[in-house]
Amino acid sequence: MPELLEAHNVVAGYGRGPDILQGSSLTVRQGQSQCIIGPNGAGKSTLLKAIAGLLPLRQGEIRFKGERIDGLRPDQILRKGIGFVPQERALFPKMTVRENLRMGGYILTDRAELEERTEDVLNQFPILRQRAGQNAGTLSGGEQQMLSMARTQIVKPDIVMLDEPSLGLAPRIVRQMFEIVDMLCDRGMTVVFVEQNVLMGLKHAKWGAVLDLGRTLFDGPAADILGDPRIQELYLGKAAAAA
Amino acid sequence: MSQIIQILILGLALGGVYALMASGLTLIFGVMRIVNLAHPIMIIGGAFVAYWLFQEPLRIDPIISMPIAFIVLFGVGLVLYKLVFEREAASAKYSEMTVLLTFGVALCGDGLLSTLFTNTQRGTTPSYGAQSYFLGDIFIPKGQLFAGLISIAIIIVLYIFLRYTRFGYAIRATTQNRAAAQLMGVNVGFVSLITFGIGIGLAGAAGALISFVWQFFPAKHWEWIAVLMSLVVLGGMGKLHGAIVAALTLSVIAAFVGTYFGSTWSLLTFFLALFLILLIRPEGLFGEKIEEA
Repeated sequence: MPELLEAHNVVAGYGRGPDILQGSSLTVRQGQSQCIIGPNGAGKSTLLKAIAGLLPLRQGEIRFKGERIDGLRPDQILRKGIGFVPQERALFPKMTVRENLRMGGYILTDRAELEERTEDVLNQFPILRQRAGQNAGTLSGGEQQMLSMARTQIVKPDIVMLDEPSLGLAPRIVRQMFEIVDMLCDRGMTVVFVEQNVLMGLKHAKWGAVLDLGRTLFDGPAADILGDPRIQELYLGKAAAAA
Repeated sequence: MSQIIQILILGLALGGVYALMASGLTLIFGVMRIVNLAHPIMIIGGAFVAYWLFQEPLRIDPIISMPIAFIVLFGVGLVLYKLVFEREAASAKYSEMTVLLTFGVALCGDGLLSTLFTNTQRGTTPSYGAQSYFLGDIFIPKGQLFAGLISIAIIIVLYIFLRYTRFGYAIRATTQNRAAAQLMGVNVGFVSLITFGIGIGLAGAAGALISFVWQFFPAKHWEWIAVLMSLVVLGGMGKLHGAIVAALTLSVIAAFVGTYFGSTWSLLTFFLALFLILLIRPEGLFGEKIEEA
C-alpha cells in the first residue's frame, strides 16, 4: 500500500506552552483505516490538529502524497484532500442540517454538484433528511456526530480524520458511529481516528498507532497491537492480558 | 391619536438609520469579536465623504454619493484591518486588545477629521431635506423617510447576501464557529478582512444618509458610541436581527421621550437601556446566555 500521509518527528504545542508532541511520527497508507490510541495527554488529538493545520509545528514535517503540507492553512489542507472532524464536532449550531452539509462542500464551486452531493448524503442518512430543516444545535449528540461525519462525504477527501467519534455517546449510538466509519472505509476513504475505547477502535481499524507522552511507541497492524501483551496490560487492563 | 402615529413614524424612520449604523458594528463583532469603538468615527467619515461631494462644483446628492461613501470606507476598513487588527488576531486577549486598539483608531480618526474639516457643525442640504409629506395631520419629513427606507433596503440586501450567497455562508459560518469554518475550507483570514471592510463600508453608507438628517462634526462620535453600543448590546452582540429590533424599539421609545419630556432627554433612552440591559440581561434579547467563569 502506498504511503498517503507521513508525519515525521513532529514537535508541537499550544501557544507558548510546553511541547505536547515531542517527536511523534505517523504513517497512513492508502485505504488502511488507522486507529490512534494512548492515555489521556498522550497527544493524540494534538497530532490530528497539527496534521489538519490548526496547530503550527515547532519541529518536524508532514507530507501528504509526498508533498509537504505543514505550514499550510486548514482550508488549504482540506483542498489537498484531508478532512478533519474534531472532538467538538465542528458544527454550525444556528444553521440547518442542510446548510451544514452545504458548508461541508464549501470548497466546491459548482453549485449543482454541491446540491447533488448534499442530496446523496441525505439519501444515505435518512435521519438527517428528516432533520434537514432543523438547526444543528437542536440535534441529539448522536445525530450531531452523524452529521459531522456525513458532512465529510460531501467533498470526498482522500483522508478523513476523526477525533474521538464515540465521545459522550451511548453504547448503541457508538456502534452506529463505527458502522459509519466502516462505511466510509468501504467507499474508499482512508479513515484515521483517535479512540479511547481501544478494543472497539482497533477492531474497526486495519492499522494502529500507540502514542504516549507525545511520542509514537508503536505503529503497525491493529491485530499486532491487540495481540501485544504490553499494550494489553497498559491499555486494555490486566484481565484482557491474562485472557 | 394622530400625535402617537406621528411619533411612531418619526421613531421608525430614524430607527431604520440607527439599524444601519449598528449593523456594521454587530457584523464585525459577530465575525471577529472586535468591539469597534471606532465605528461612530467611521460613520462621521462617511458623512464627510458625502459632505465633500455635495460641495461645488460636484454637488452630488448624498443619496447618490452613498455608494461612493461605502466604497471609500470599505477601503479604509481593509487598510485598517491589515495594519491594526490582523497582526493581533492570534493574541489570546484579542477581544480585549481590540477595545484599546479601536479606541486609539477613534482618537486618530477624530484628530484627522478635526484637522481636515474643523469641529464646525455641518450637514448636506438636498432639497428634500427640508420637505415633508402630509397625510392629514401627520407629516413625514422626506429626509428622515428616505434615509430610513434606504437603510432598511440596505439591511435587506445585507440579509440576502448573508443568507444566500457562498461568501455569506462563509461569514455566517465564521460567526458561529471560526475553527469549524476553517475546517470546511473557509479562509477565515480573508473572510475577516472582507467582513471588516463591509462593516466599515456600512458605516460609511450610514454616514452619507445621516448627513442630511442630523448636523455632524468629528467629536460627535463620542455621543454615538454609547448609542450604538446600547443597540448591539440590547440586540445581543453579533446578532444582526437583534440590532435591528433594538434600533427600531429604542428609536421609537426615544421619540416618545423626546416629545413628552424634551429632546435633550431622548438620548437618555439609549444610555438607560444600555445600563439596564447590562444589569438585567447582559446577553441581550437574542444573545446566548453568558457563562459565569
